[in-house]
Amino acid sequence: MSVRSVPSYAAYFAIWAWLIALLVAGVFVPQLSLSKMNAVLLIFSIALVKAALVTLFYMHLKSEKIPVWVVAVSPFFLISLAVFLIFVGIALS
Amino acid sequence: MRQEEVLSNSLTETNTGIPSGKLAMWLFLASEVMFFTGLIGAAIVLRSGYYEWPKPGELLHIPLAAFNTFILLSSSMTMAMGVAAAHQRDRKRLRFFLAATILLGTAFLGVKGFEYSQKFAHGYFPGTSLFWDCYFTLTGCHGLHVLAGIITNGWILSLTFRSDFDAQKGHYVEISGLYWHFVDLVWIFLFPFLYLI
Repeated sequence: MSVRSVPSYAAYFAIWAWLIALLVAGVFVPQLSLSKMNAVLLIFSIALVKAALVTLFYMHLKSEKIPVWVVAVSPFFLISLAVFLIFVGIALS
Repeated sequence: MRQEEVLSNSLTETNTGIPSGKLAMWLFLASEVMFFTGLIGAAIVLRSGYYEWPKPGELLHIPLAAFNTFILLSSSMTMAMGVAAAHQRDRKRLRFFLAATILLGTAFLGVKGFEYSQKFAHGYFPGTSLFWDCYFTLTGCHGLHVLAGIITNGWILSLTFRSDFDAQKGHYVEISGLYWHFVDLVWIFLFPFLYLI
């Protein structure tokens, strides 16, 4: 049998509050006087933080064992490889 | 965070010490990441060479989509709380949070359906332009995944009324929860890609 801890409802609510705050921040980024590239970088950085909060706390990846981490993280290595190959293809065309 | 010791069902554990259903769902989600990466990656490449991509807010309603994102993020919270209730064997709270998740998911699809109807009324359909091809493909695939999550959660909600639910099927909630949070994760990236940049 395995044992794991369960976060409190208050903790889940706190994570939700952060997610909503980040949502609002992301919506207002286009209103800032930023270049297109900087705005895109900031918007997707915010999205990455939101994704990390959901993955680590709502999906409990934070308290999971190594095999789950390997499965969860492995697609991103494949994605990085795919993106690299796409840019190589664009550069060579 | 409050610490509470809970025991997983020994019948579902593998040699890794991880319940087989949970491991299987993580593997499935890894494949789903590749599925959506293919779609979003194709949209990124198409967009980079398409000069008629509309500016943010030009053709899509950002406040409505932001409100829809709020709905989906809230459903993620209620799903997480439902999983916690399942671990604590609190069936009343589990039913409440599952029902809330289903309602919020349905509301998300309702808002999406309203958005679609508005686009159709203005003559925008899949095939109208490359932008609309990408928009309807990405949001349509995501919407189908949301629908599958709603149906699954509805089935689990029905199971909670069975006498053997806690002992045999309580872990179903956690597995379904993982899927639901993934659906939320996809939208976390789709929303800014389609609406904000």
